[in-house]
Amino acid sequence: MRIKLKPPTIVILIYLAMLLAGGFYVGLPLFPILSESMVKFAMNGIMVLSLLPMIHAGVGLNFGMPVGLSAALVGMSLAIQFKLQGGVGFLSSLVFAIAIAVVFGAAYGKLLNRLKGREEIAGVFTGFAFIPLMNIFWTVAPFTNRQMLYPVGGVGLRPKISLDGYFRFILDETLVIQLGKISIPLGLLLFYALVVAVIALIFKTQNGKAMAALRLNSGFARLSGVDENRVRLLAVILSTAIAAVGMCVYSQSFGFVQLYDGASMLTFPALSALLIGGGGSRQATITNAVAGAYLYQFVYLLSVPVANAILIPELAELLRMIITNGVILFAMLMERRWQHA
Amino acid sequence: MKKGISLILVLAMVLISLSGCSAPAQSQAGAPEAEKAPGYKIGIVTPTLSTSEDEYRAGENMVAKYPDIVKHITLPENFNVELETAISQIVSLADDPEMKAVVVVSGQSGLLPALQKIEETRPEIITVTAPIWDDPDMMAQYIDINLDTDWARRGQTIVEKAHNMGAKTFIHYSFPTHLAKEAISKRKEMMKTTSEQLGMTFVEIVTPDPQAGDGGVPAMQQFLREDIPRQIEKYGVDTNIFGSNCPMYDVILDEALKLKFIMAEQCCPTPTQAFPTVMNLEIAAEDVGNFDKINAMISEKAADADMTGRLSGWPVPITIFLPEFAVEVAKDLIDSGKTPEEALSSEYLIALAQDKFGVGVEMNPMKPEMDNYYLTIMDSIFY
Repeated sequence: MRIKLKPPTIVILIYLAMLLAGGFYVGLPLFPILSESMVKFAMNGIMVLSLLPMIHAGVGLNFGMPVGLSAALVGMSLAIQFKLQGGVGFLSSLVFAIAIAVVFGAAYGKLLNRLKGREEIAGVFTGFAFIPLMNIFWTVAPFTNRQMLYPVGGVGLRPKISLDGYFRFILDETLVIQLGKISIPLGLLLFYALVVAVIALIFKTQNGKAMAALRLNSGFARLSGVDENRVRLLAVILSTAIAAVGMCVYSQSFGFVQLYDGASMLTFPALSALLIGGGGSRQATITNAVAGAYLYQFVYLLSVPVANAILIPELAELLRMIITNGVILFAMLMERRWQHA
Repeated sequence: MKKGISLILVLAMVLISLSGCSAPAQSQAGAPEAEKAPGYKIGIVTPTLSTSEDEYRAGENMVAKYPDIVKHITLPENFNVELETAISQIVSLADDPEMKAVVVVSGQSGLLPALQKIEETRPEIITVTAPIWDDPDMMAQYIDINLDTDWARRGQTIVEKAHNMGAKTFIHYSFPTHLAKEAISKRKEMMKTTSEQLGMTFVEIVTPDPQAGDGGVPAMQQFLREDIPRQIEKYGVDTNIFGSNCPMYDVILDEALKLKFIMAEQCCPTPTQAFPTVMNLEIAAEDVGNFDKINAMISEKAADADMTGRLSGWPVPITIFLPEFAVEVAKDLIDSGKTPEEALSSEYLIALAQDKFGVGVEMNPMKPEMDNYYLTIMDSIFY
């Protein structure tokens, strides 16, 4: 595989190098940060990967990711409800999450099939509408494990449920290799690699090729006997299910299951990561998703402490946001110029 | 035939909707009159359950305690848009000739006109706020009793408490949207001054902004997860960590149990936030809302983590205490036949809190010349 760097990636790489130099200058402990960057990469990376099937089939960026994330939240809540702990708890969470995501994804996919060409805006609104709906579910769902319920009223789920004693860090702490001062979370990275392999394999199948054909030329694909709606539906279900897996991995690493509005804030970072990696709504490869996830998370990880150390506190966060988002924007502008040149 | 069925359906729907509208009104106005009432009523106005669990439950608790006296109504869900509805609801409480006191709990501004109106039409009704946030001078002028938390002074008390718990460094986590609020930045300045007076190192760190930033609350919490171990490595375990935003405490407390640093007080001190989540408290159905039991469970978990004496907070959530306390004050005044002007003093309020709730509080006038606006600080519980 030959890796071609696109301008956005190059700009972010330069910014990252500057941040690293800054971090070195202010005496940040860089080895722990390197170790952490791998955890952050894998914990957020699967959500970035989940965007790929829909882009692959020409459905566009998955702004409706909260649908898949909510499926995972229900799945994990079920595992906690039945007090399934450790590996069993995590695996059953995954199974529940994927099963529910298939149902949710099917409904979401049917909706998107009726709104061809406007999938992205429809996705935004689906996400907005779906989260309040789930909020009602969390308050009335008949869960009975008292570790999950509101402490004052005793009815309805807490906004956050701790995974301590269930499956917190189950991947993070599997097969950790000490390499000098850097610790590599091999278990987590292997799980991530597994998801990458599954996606790559699916893209190689008949259906995967049909998706690509639809993206490249939907008219031609239809004439060649591709059932457009079915293949698109499949892609949406796949994206939703992978997003659900991503949320399970994210939560085990984060240590809490975040219900209610927690799912609404994870879509944009995933999309930004893919854009930084050189992907777009018309085309994105697995390499784009992997590189983008790592770069985005690494920049985020470094920029806050560096800004706090260099700038006065009141300005640190504002300047950091301006610079980081500005660099992302600049990177995209560079891509435009490079395309038109 | 079809027409007939649909006509019946429409009639049924009209009937249901009519009865649906009138039912609550009947139970509110009719039921207490049917029973032998003690001859007076106290109205309490709180936000709805989904807006704020604590205040709503406080209202419910008071109805359960004094079913013949307390009448609980809620503010509209969409408070900012339906301010007029909120005001007319509060004013309508005064239509009941038996109404002797009105307690308003909202934590928002804009409700002062309702209380002014009641003061005009029925000056004998005792009006109490616990709290509302309008202009303090106007509130002191028109409202009989005002209660609130002493937000600014906590900048001093929290640091002193942390110092007594052995802290040598005080870390303050916040973000731009919060630091732009006067109460929070004032408190921060107070913390800084107090730390310097006590010879502690004051460290201010800015987190990703959950209200304006790109990643929301998860990004802020994730940053704390990464940053707290770095800071503790740098400053040692005798460090107190304070965050200005409630969701921060899920992470701060979790890291405290792991890294053994000090957490002297939450931004909104209560045993019901962060503690149950992080410590995975299994609160049995009969213990729901029983704070003695919840506090005992927290102490036990703190001891398990070898953290006894390094965590602290307030024994009862202030957002439940103040509304309930306000009802008790009103009831006590009515029962003893005193007017607020005669009875009200710091000593009176402190004694009543001890008597009715068994908690120690400080009650200080908002400004020295005000005799009806008191700010509360509760005695701490150490886990």
